[in-house]
Amino acid sequence: MKNIVSGKVTIIRSEKDYYKIRKETILIAENTHPDIVIAIKKIKAIVTEIDNKLCHAAIIAREFDIPLLMGVENATKDFKTGDKVIVNLDNKAIHKIK
Amino acid sequence: MKNLLKYTYLLDTKNIKKNIENLWDRYQKIIDSKKSSWEDLNEARAILYFIGYLYPEKIALDSLEKRIEYIRPKIGLDEFLSAIDRKNIRILKKYRKNKRFNQLRDFYLIVKDIKNRTKNGTYLDEGRFNKIHNKLKPKNYF
Repeated sequence: MKNIVSGKVTIIRSEKDYYKIRKETILIAENTHPDIVIAIKKIKAIVTEIDNKLCHAAIIAREFDIPLLMGVENATKDFKTGDKVIVNLDNKAIHKIK
Repeated sequence: MKNLLKYTYLLDTKNIKKNIENLWDRYQKIIDSKKSSWEDLNEARAILYFIGYLYPEKIALDSLEKRIEYIRPKIGLDEFLSAIDRKNIRILKKYRKNKRFNQLRDFYLIVKDIKNRTKNGTYLDEGRFNKIHNKLKPKNYF
């Protein structure tokens, strides 16, 4: 599994947003929903505001071997869909790329 | 909920599963019935919060964190969860005959089953619950 991943962001605010994913993306959400499996093959990394080893995002990331960064406060507000970002799991950080 | 907590303390996986299913059945019964009252719906809301969040993310996680310490050879919780979710053959083989490991694995799989459960297209049938909740919500709700 890669510890540094870059790509374009998709912000998830409701289950319906998973159905709009067409290209590979870095998904940012407060937490994930089971509907995530619809787009699972296009998800390069998951970033969540919640931080819990048994939350849905944690389980799904382990099951599908997807890089996961949890506990990023205000991630759904600080980033917007289409932003280019780099996620670094070693430093537990996400940054915009210009 | 009290019984579920009791059997979690005992790590009695058979009764943990039974009590979770009892709560789920009661939740389904409430949202299935056209006679359900606002009070009934709040019982369903309590069950939903308990089995969807409080139990898996707080109580069960706490139990796993404490019990993983007793497994020998030692294994960390992250390694344990990853081994099960990613079906890591090397680790699963290593602990194949380890009673405590297997008991904790069964417990985690029960918790994961309820945490991942969907019905009628939404997580824990929340779509249907929300629809009835909005319908029955009193005008003077506070």
